[in-house]
Amino acid sequence: MTTDHDTTVIARTVARVVFPIIVVTAIALLLQGHNLPGGGFIAGTLTAAAVGLVYVIYGLDHLEQELLGRPPSVPFTDEAGITREYGSLVTTGLALAAGGGAVAILFGDAFLTQAVWFFEHVPVYGEFEVASALAFDLGVYAVVVGALLTILAVVGAE
Amino acid sequence: MTQFVLAVVLGLLFALGTFLVLRKDLVRVVWGLTIMSQTANVYLVTMGGLTGGVPIISGHGGQGTEVTDPLVQALVLTAIVIGFGTTAFALGLSYRVYQTNETIDLTEVRG
Amino acid sequence: MQPTAGIILAVVALPFLGAAAVPLLYRVIGERTAYFAAAVAAACFALIATQFGAEGAISVRWIPALDVSLSLYVDGLALLIGFLASGVGVLIFTYSGGYMHNEPGKPRYYATLLAFMGAMLGIAFAADLIALFVFWELTSVASFILIGHYRDESGQYAARKSMFVTVSGGLFMLIGFLLLHWVALDVASVESAFRLAGEGSMLASADAMQTALREQGLLVPVLLLIGIGAAAKSAQVPLHIWLPDAMEAPTPVSAFLHSATMVKAGVYLVGRMRPLLVTDEWVLLFALLGLVTMTITAMLAVTASDIKELLAYSTASHLGLIVAGYGIASSADAHIGLLGAETGAFHVLNHALFKATLFLVAGIIAHEAGTRAIEELGGLSDDLPLTAGITVVAALGMAGVPPFNGFYSKEFLFDATYELAAHDGGLWWLLPVVAVFGSIFTFLYSIRFLMLFFGEKPEELGHVHEPPWSMRGPPLLLAVGAGIVGLGGITATAGFHLPIEEFVGRIVESSLPAGEEAHFSYHIPTTLSPPVLMSGVTVAVGAVAYPFYDGIRDGLRAVRDLGPLRPNWYYNGATALMDTNEIGPQIHNGLLRTYALWFLGGTSALALAGYVAATVSIPTFSGLTVTIPLGIVLVVAIIGAAAVTGAPSHVAGVLTLSILGFMVAIFYILADAPDLALTQLVIETLVLVIFLLVIDKLPAFYGGSKRWMLVRDGAASLAVGTTVMVTVLLSTARTPGVPSYLDHSLKSFFIERAPPPPEHGSFIIDSGGGHNIVNVILVDFRAFDTLGEISVVAMAALSIVTLIAMQQRGEI
Repeated sequence: MTTDHDTTVIARTVARVVFPIIVVTAIALLLQGHNLPGGGFIAGTLTAAAVGLVYVIYGLDHLEQELLGRPPSVPFTDEAGITREYGSLVTTGLALAAGGGAVAILFGDAFLTQAVWFFEHVPVYGEFEVASALAFDLGVYAVVVGALLTILAVVGAE
Repeated sequence: MTQFVLAVVLGLLFALGTFLVLRKDLVRVVWGLTIMSQTANVYLVTMGGLTGGVPIISGHGGQGTEVTDPLVQALVLTAIVIGFGTTAFALGLSYRVYQTNETIDLTEVRG
Repeated sequence: MQPTAGIILAVVALPFLGAAAVPLLYRVIGERTAYFAAAVAAACFALIATQFGAEGAISVRWIPALDVSLSLYVDGLALLIGFLASGVGVLIFTYSGGYMHNEPGKPRYYATLLAFMGAMLGIAFAADLIALFVFWELTSVASFILIGHYRDESGQYAARKSMFVTVSGGLFMLIGFLLLHWVALDVASVESAFRLAGEGSMLASADAMQTALREQGLLVPVLLLIGIGAAAKSAQVPLHIWLPDAMEAPTPVSAFLHSATMVKAGVYLVGRMRPLLVTDEWVLLFALLGLVTMTITAMLAVTASDIKELLAYSTASHLGLIVAGYGIASSADAHIGLLGAETGAFHVLNHALFKATLFLVAGIIAHEAGTRAIEELGGLSDDLPLTAGITVVAALGMAGVPPFNGFYSKEFLFDATYELAAHDGGLWWLLPVVAVFGSIFTFLYSIRFLMLFFGEKPEELGHVHEPPWSMRGPPLLLAVGAGIVGLGGITATAGFHLPIEEFVGRIVESSLPAGEEAHFSYHIPTTLSPPVLMSGVTVAVGAVAYPFYDGIRDGLRAVRDLGPLRPNWYYNGATALMDTNEIGPQIHNGLLRTYALWFLGGTSALALAGYVAATVSIPTFSGLTVTIPLGIVLVVAIIGAAAVTGAPSHVAGVLTLSILGFMVAIFYILADAPDLALTQLVIETLVLVIFLLVIDKLPAFYGGSKRWMLVRDGAASLAVGTTVMVTVLLSTARTPGVPSYLDHSLKSFFIERAPPPPEHGSFIIDSGGGHNIVNVILVDFRAFDTLGEISVVAMAALSIVTLIAMQQRGEI
C-alpha cells in the first residue's frame, strides 16, 4: 500500500467528505464520554480508523505530502518521519495521564484521584461540569491514536 | 435460560479457535488467536449478566433501574483495544517469520 | 538498645539503589565507579556501626490490609555478617579499582557486585523466612553473573555449575522453611508463622517449636533440608564441587563472594537456626558434615596446583570447621554447646579476615607475576616485601599457629570435640582425632602458600613489580585486622581484654538458646590441657611432614583422580546424560502445535480436575431458550467462525473472520454495552485492514493436513471447548459475593458512587461525577489499571516498530 493510485474517484470523494465527519464524531465521543457512551478508547480508535481510511484511499505518503506539505519521509530512517510523530503522541499521552494523576499527590490525595468541578449559572449551558478525569481521558485518547497509527504506518509501509 | 445457549456457543467458538491454533499455516494460527480473544471478551460480558439496562445513569447515585455490571464492560473495553495490539503484533511476527524463513509453514520453521 | 528501623532499611536498600545508578554513572565517571561503589559500601558500614550493640526486630508495614510486613532483625550474628559484607565490600571495591583496570564489562561488574552486597545484607538482617530465601537466591544469581564474567567456555561451565548447586540447594531449604512454617502455624506462641527472629517468632519459642517438630516427625526432614541448603551454599562435601570452579571469577569476586561473604550465608543459616533446631540429630549431622568437609577439602587443597584453587579448597575446609563448631552441642552439658557456638562465631570472623587477605594476595601475585601455578612461583618476598609481610600474618593465622588469629578459634574446636568425646565416649572419640588429622593438612597447605614468598625464586619469573596502593591497601588493612585479633589473645593473657571479646560474645549469644549468656574470652593457653596438646601435635606433625610435601601431594592426587570417588564425576556424568537423552527433543520439538496442545490441554485438565475436586454441581438444564435477535447473532457468529476454519484462501478467511467480529459487536449492543459495541465495530474495521495489508505480502499457503491429524486436533479442540462450556455454565450461575472489606457488592459500589450525588457543592472528589459508569470506572475508580493498559498498547506499538522497522535498518 505504498502509493495505490488505482482507487476510484468515488472512493476518493467519499473519503474526503467522510474524514472530517468521523474526526468530529470522535471528538464529540471523547468529550461526552463521562456521561454518555464514548471516552478516550472509543474516540481514539475512531480517529485512528479515519486516518487509516486516508491511508487506504490515498496511500501512505499523501498525509505528509499534501496535508503537512513536506516531502514524505523514508520509513525507518533516522530523520524525523511521521512514525516518530506518532511516537511522541504516545509519549505525550502517557505523560498526560500519569502527570495528571500525579497532580492529586500535590493536594495530598492518592495518585490518580480525580475531582469534578461544577459551574452553576453558565450562560446557555446552565450547569456545567468539568472533570479532571477528562485530562486522563485525553491521555488515553492520545496513546490509542498514536499507537494504532504507528502500527498501521509501520505495517502499511511494508 | 440464555446461559445454556451462550455456554454452548462459547464452547464451540473456543473449540474452533483451538482447532485453528493447531494448524501449520501461521495465518490460521493468528486467526485462531483472534477468535479466542473475542470469545474471551464475550465470556466476560456474559459473566456480568445479560439482564439489566445500559450502565448509564441519568439521575443521581443509588437511584434508577437495575443495570448490567459496569466493571466487566470496563475490563472488556480495554481488552478489545489491547486485543488489536496483540493481533497486529502477531501479524508483524508472521511477516518477520516469512522474511527470515521464506515460508509460513510452521512445520518447516521449527527451530 | 532497640535498632532504628530507618537505618537498617537504608542499609539494605542503599546497595541496590547504588547498583541501579552504576550504568549511568559509569558513563560519567568511568573507572572511578569503583570508588563510588566503595563509598556506598562505606556508607552502609557506617550506618551498621551506628546500630552496634542493638538487638531486636523492626517491622515495616507493607500491605497493612493483608497483615504483610517486611521485618528485619538485628543481633550479634546479623551485625557480624553486616560488617563483613559492607566492610570487606569497601576494601574489595577499592581493590577492584586497580585490579579491573583493563578488564571488560566493568559497569555490569560493579552493578552486580553492589546488588550482591545488598542481597547479603538482606540475608544478614532478614527476620522472616521468605525474605531470607529471596535474598539467599539473589546472592546465587549475583554469583552466577560474576563467575561467568569473562564469558569463556570454562567460565560458563563454572557459572552454570555454581548456579545449579546453590540454587537447587536453596530450593531444598525452601521446602524446609515451608515445613517449619506449617509446624509453626500450630504453635500458639508463634504469632507470625513466617517470622524467624524477634518477638512472637519461631526462635522466641524455640522449645515449643522443637517439641511440635518432633511430635509431627518433621524434625529430621527439616534438619536435612536446611542442611542441604546450607551445605550447597557453604560448599560442604559432597556439594563443594562448585567452589573451585568458581575461581573463574575475577579475583576480587573470589575474595568477596567465595571466601568472606556469600559462602558464609550457609554457615550463617546454621548459626541462626542453631537455637531452634539443636538436638542430638543436629549434632550428628552438622558435627560430622563439618569435620568430614574440613578434612577432605584440606587434603584436596594440598593437591592443588593453582593458588586460587588451593584457597578455594581451603575455604571449603574452614567453612567445614565453622559448621562443625556450630554442630557441636550436648543436651547434658551446656558448656559443650557454648564451646561449639564459640568456635563457629569466632571462626566466621577470623576466616573472613585471613582468607579475604590471602585471596587479595593471590590477586596481586596473578596480576604482577602473570601466573597462578604454584610450581612456577617462589621467593617473591624480595620483590613484594609488604605483600610478604601481609601473607605471613594471614597464612600463619590460617595454619593455626599461635599467636595468630586462626589459632584461637581452632583451639575452641579442639576443646569442643574433646569435651564432647570425653562426655559421651565411644565413637565420639573420632571427632577430636579427625579434627587433628584435618588440621595437619591445613597446616601443610598454609605453609606451602607462605613459601611462595620464600625460598628460591624460579629463573623464568623475572622481576615482579609492586602493585598500586589501591591493591596493596585493602589486604594490608585486613591483615592488620587479623593481627589485632591475634594480639588480643596475648593482651588477654596479660589481663587486658580487647573489645573484640565483647563483640564476639554477642555473636555467640545469637546461636545459643534464648537467655543463655556468653562471657567470651580467648587467650594464649598457659597450662597444658588436651586442646593445647592437640594443637601441639598438629603443628609438630605438620612441620615434620612438610619436607615430604611433594610426595604427599602426589599420593593424594592419585586417590583424588579415581573417578567414582569424585563428586564431579557424578555431576559431569549426569549433565552429559541430560544433554544426550531423547526426552528433551521430544518435549521441546520446536513445533508451535505441540506447545499449544500441551498448554491448552493441561489448562483444561487442571480446570476440570479443580471442578471435580471442589464437587461443584452444574446448574440443571432448563432448555435452550433465547431471544430471537440474540439467537440470530449467535448462529451467524458460529457460522462465521466455522467458515474461517474452512476458508479456502487467506482473503476469504479474513473476510469471514470479520463477520464474527461484527456479530460480536451486535452481541454487545444486545448485552446493553454501547461503549463496547462502538469500540468493537471500529477495531474490527482496523483488524480487517491490517490483516489484508499483511496477507497481501504473505504467500498463499493452505497446507492440507492428514486425516488423522484433523481427527486428533478436532478431538483436542472439542475437549477444550467442553471445558470452556462447563466453565461458562458454572461461573455465570453464580454471582460474586460481597468482599469482606466492603459492606456492599462491587457492582453496587460503582453504581452508587459513579454519578454525582444528589446534593453536591461546586467541587467533589469522593465520587466519580459522571453518568457513564463504564467510563468513570476507566478514568477514575480504576484509573491505575487503565494507565497500565494504555502502557500495554504503547508497548505493542513499540514492539511492532522494533520488529519490523529495525530489521529494515539491518539492526537485528
